[in-house]
Amino acid sequence: MADQATFESDIREFIPQLYSAALRMTRNPADAEDVLQEALLKAFRGYHTFKAGTNLKAWLYRILTNTFINKYRQKSRRPSEVELGELEDLYLYKRLGETGTGGASRSAEEEALDQFVDADVKAAVEALPENFRLPVLLADVEGFSYKEIAEIMDVPIGTVMSRLHRGRKQLQRALWRMAEERGIGTGS
Amino acid sequence: MRSDCHKAQAKVYHYLDGEISRYRRWRIQRHLRRCPPCTGGFSFESKLQQRIREDCVEDVPEELMARLTTFLRQNGPTDTSADPTAGGSDV
Repeated sequence: MADQATFESDIREFIPQLYSAALRMTRNPADAEDVLQEALLKAFRGYHTFKAGTNLKAWLYRILTNTFINKYRQKSRRPSEVELGELEDLYLYKRLGETGTGGASRSAEEEALDQFVDADVKAAVEALPENFRLPVLLADVEGFSYKEIAEIMDVPIGTVMSRLHRGRKQLQRALWRMAEERGIGTGS
Repeated sequence: MRSDCHKAQAKVYHYLDGEISRYRRWRIQRHLRRCPPCTGGFSFESKLQQRIREDCVEDVPEELMARLTTFLRQNGPTDTSADPTAGGSDV
């Protein structure tokens, strides 16, 4: 059982990460602040239910994720149910490399990756449907294990894997579309 | 594409996420030592994951941090017994 008196100091270090996650979830700063504030209030009020010594970060993300879903899901229900088609493995690598010869120590594909700016990557993450964006955020940005993500999102681990893997490929497709528009990796 | 490549590539995310058995990990590492194209692909995927991690991190604006701190202090001790992790989430 955790002590409410130490809540602020206990969770303070997680606020930047939680804020970043809230921004990627809601896609705008005002909503991110609302979600974060509401999640922190819930966490504070329920802090006595947190078992000290267990995973505080995962506990906070679970509250943040639930808060986001409960607050915004109605608005985005339809788009979030979109099912993504299957894309091949190493999708972006193969697209970027189609014109290259390969075999170099530092690959042309990795150099092409450097041509994307931060905003491209953020946009590609934010373009993912919610079902797929959440596992990608939790795994790639926050470094949670599949099991932790399953607990945070309250879905079976197989669902986490499927959505995470498909979400990552979908993100690669979004990046590939930007690459095509700008001539990245096409040798032009 | 050879079937070894196909098998390794199908497990690229399990491998990079560390969500794989020791035996499978060993099999993939053995394949990668022999297959430069797959090595390139795995390295690319790893680099992309790193980019996503780096690019999605934001600084909290100072005013927001100040607002949150005030907010937390204002909502002083309370004795509600609700479990904050409970609630619908079948996304």
